[in-house]
Amino acid sequence: MAILLQLLLSGVALGMIYAVIAFGYQSTFATSGTLNFGQGEALMLGAMVGLSMAGNVAGGPYINYWAMIPIVLIFGALQGAVVERIGVRPAIKTKSEFGWIMSTIALGIIFRNVAENVWGRDDMPFPSPLPTDPLHIFGASVLPMELLVVVGAIVMMVGVEIFNRRSIYGKAVVATSTDRDAAGLMGINTGLVITFSYALSSATAAFAGVLIAPITLTGASMGAVLGLKAFAVAIIGGLNSGLGVIVGGILLGVAETTTGFYISTGYKDVPGLILLLLVLSVKPAGLFGKSVIKKV
Amino acid sequence: MASFRLRSLVAALALSTIASGFAADPIKIGLSGPYTGGSSPMGVSMRDGAKLAADEINKAGGVLGRPIQLVERDDEAKNERGVQVTQELINKEHVVATLGYINTGVSLASQRFYQEAKIPVINNVATGSIVSKQFLPPEHPDNYIFRTSCPDGIQSQMIVEEAVGRRKLTKIAILADSTNYGQLGREDLVKALAAKGVKPVAEEKFNVKDVDMTPQLLKAKEAGAQAVLTYAIGPELAQIALGMKKLGWKVPMIGSWTLSMGNFIDNAGAESEGARMPQTFIQEPNTPKRKAFIDAYLKAYHPTNDRIPSPVSAAQGYDSVYLIAAAIKQAGNTDGPKVREALENLKDKVDGVVTIYDRPFSHDNHEAITSNIPVIGEVKDGHVVYAYEEERKNPLRLEKH
Repeated sequence: MAILLQLLLSGVALGMIYAVIAFGYQSTFATSGTLNFGQGEALMLGAMVGLSMAGNVAGGPYINYWAMIPIVLIFGALQGAVVERIGVRPAIKTKSEFGWIMSTIALGIIFRNVAENVWGRDDMPFPSPLPTDPLHIFGASVLPMELLVVVGAIVMMVGVEIFNRRSIYGKAVVATSTDRDAAGLMGINTGLVITFSYALSSATAAFAGVLIAPITLTGASMGAVLGLKAFAVAIIGGLNSGLGVIVGGILLGVAETTTGFYISTGYKDVPGLILLLLVLSVKPAGLFGKSVIKKV
Repeated sequence: MASFRLRSLVAALALSTIASGFAADPIKIGLSGPYTGGSSPMGVSMRDGAKLAADEINKAGGVLGRPIQLVERDDEAKNERGVQVTQELINKEHVVATLGYINTGVSLASQRFYQEAKIPVINNVATGSIVSKQFLPPEHPDNYIFRTSCPDGIQSQMIVEEAVGRRKLTKIAILADSTNYGQLGREDLVKALAAKGVKPVAEEKFNVKDVDMTPQLLKAKEAGAQAVLTYAIGPELAQIALGMKKLGWKVPMIGSWTLSMGNFIDNAGAESEGARMPQTFIQEPNTPKRKAFIDAYLKAYHPTNDRIPSPVSAAQGYDSVYLIAAAIKQAGNTDGPKVREALENLKDKVDGVVTIYDRPFSHDNHEAITSNIPVIGEVKDGHVVYAYEEERKNPLRLEKH
C-alpha cells in the first residue's frame, strides 16, 4: 500500500511538472492558434536566470529565492514577447500555416546555444528554498519542493483564470480566443493580445523553470525532454482546457511511475505514448478539449 | 569568435615560424574528444592533460628534433561528428597518430578509418570492453587500436569485488542508463556477479535526462537490495543519490569510474559522500611525478576549487602523449606501421602519471591498464580520495596479481 501511495505521489509530482509547462502551450494556442515550440527553452532560460540570481554561480547568491521569482516572471514575459514579434507575427501576417513552427523551433535552438555559451553546458545544482528532507505521509516520502510545485502550479493556473474572467484585459484575451476577427472589429488590438499571450506563456514557463529546477538539476539542455513530454500532456488534456493539462499531466506522470515499478523501467514511457495515440485517434481535441470546426 | 580564434591561431603560427626560423616540420597528432556537451568535463580534462605533456616534450626539444603539434577536434560525443573529424584528421591534416575518445560509441564508429589507413590510435578515456578488440587477427593481421584507460571488464570486476568480496553483500541492485555505455556496462556487471554466484535482485534502466528515479529505486528497495551498482554518467547518478535520500533509503552506491565526475559530486552534494568507484588516478600528490603533474595542471588551467574536472581523464590523456612520443622516438620515423610496432615493443620504460609503463603493449595485448593498477576511490567532502590507505601508500601498483 505504501508503495502504491509512493508511486502515486511521485507520479502526481512529476505530472504537475509536466502540467505547468503544458499550460504555456495553451495560452498561445487559445489566442492565435499557434504554439511556441521553444517552450522547453523558455523554461530553461527562466531557470538559468533564476540560478544566476539566487544560486551560487557568478559570485551569487544576490537575492533569495522568493525575491527572484518576480524578476524571472518579467524576464520570461519579455522573452515571450520577443519570440512572438520575431518568430510568430510575420507568419500570422502572411497567413502561413507552418512558418511559426519552424521559427519557434529555430528560436528555441538559438536560445539553447546562447545559454550554453553564457552558462556552460554542464548541469548545475539549484539551491532549494525549502528543506531537502522528505516528509512522510502514511509511509510514503515526498519532498517539500514537490509540494511547492503542485501548489505553485495550481496558484498560477487559478491566477490566470481569475485574470481572464475578472479583468477587462483578460476579457480581451478571451474574446480574441473565441473569435479573433470579431474581437478585432470590436476594437480589441488582437495583435497586442497575441503578444501578451506569448509573454504570459513564456512567463509561466520561466516560473515553471525556477519551480522545478531544485528537483531536476539546471542546465542548458534541461528543457528539451520536459518540453516534449509537456507537449504530449497538452495534446492528451486538450489544447484549450486548463483542467485538461492537470489531468493529462497526472495521467502521464502516474503512468510513468507505475509502469516503471510494476512492468519494467525500460518501458516506462510507453503507456503515456499509447495514451497519446489513443486520445489522438478517439478524441483528437484531447480528453477535455472542445472540438472546433475549422471553416475554410 | 571562431574567426578571431582562427586569426589569433594564424598569428601565433606565423610568429612561431618567425621565432624559430628554420624549425623542423611539426609531428601532427590528432586529439579527438567532446570539448562541449555533457561529456565535456572528461573531454576537456583529457585535452588539457595532453596539452601539458606536449608542451613539456616540446620544451625538452621535441621528438626526433621535431615539435609535437596536437590537432584538436571536437567530436561532440556524436558518432557521425566523430567520423567527420576522423576524415579530416587523416586526409587533410595527415596526422601521424590520434589520441582521445571519451565515448565508446564515437570510438567504435571512427577507428575503422585509422585501421584502414594504418595510423595508430590510443584511446585514453573510452572504457567499452570492445574498444581495443574491434580489429583482431586473423581478419586483421595487425591491430592499430591501443588504450590507456581502464576497460569495463576490469572495472565491473572491481565494483563487484568491492560489494560482494569485501563487504560480503549478496543482494545487489544494478541501475544503468539506457545508452550503449550503461547497457554494455550492465552486462559486464551481471557477468562479474555471476562469477561470484550472485544474481542481482533488481536490474533497472533509466533514460538520460530522466528527472524522477522513484520507480527504479523503489524496485531495488523492495527487492531488499543492500547496495546499488551503477553504470551511468554524472547528472543521472546525482538523481539516483538524491532519489535515495527522498525515499529515506541509504545503501552503498558503488559504480563505474564516472562516479568521480564533478557533475555527480556537485549535483548530489552531501548525498555523493561515500560513493565508491574504480580509478586509475586520484588527485593526490603521492609520487613526485603526480605532484608535478597536479601542480602544472592547476597552474595552467585554474580549475574551480583546485579540483581537476576529471582527474582520471587528465592523467590518461597526459600519459597517452608520452607513450606515443616514446614510440615515435623508438621507431625513428612517423610511419604508421613502424610506430605501431614500436608501441608493441616499447624498450624504454615510460614514467607516467598513472603508473610506470614497462612494456605496456604487445602484439596481442593493446591494453595498458591491467587489473593491478586501478584503485578504489571514494567521494569525501566533495573530492575523490583513496578508499583504502594501503592503496594510497602503493601508488605505482607495479606488481601484477
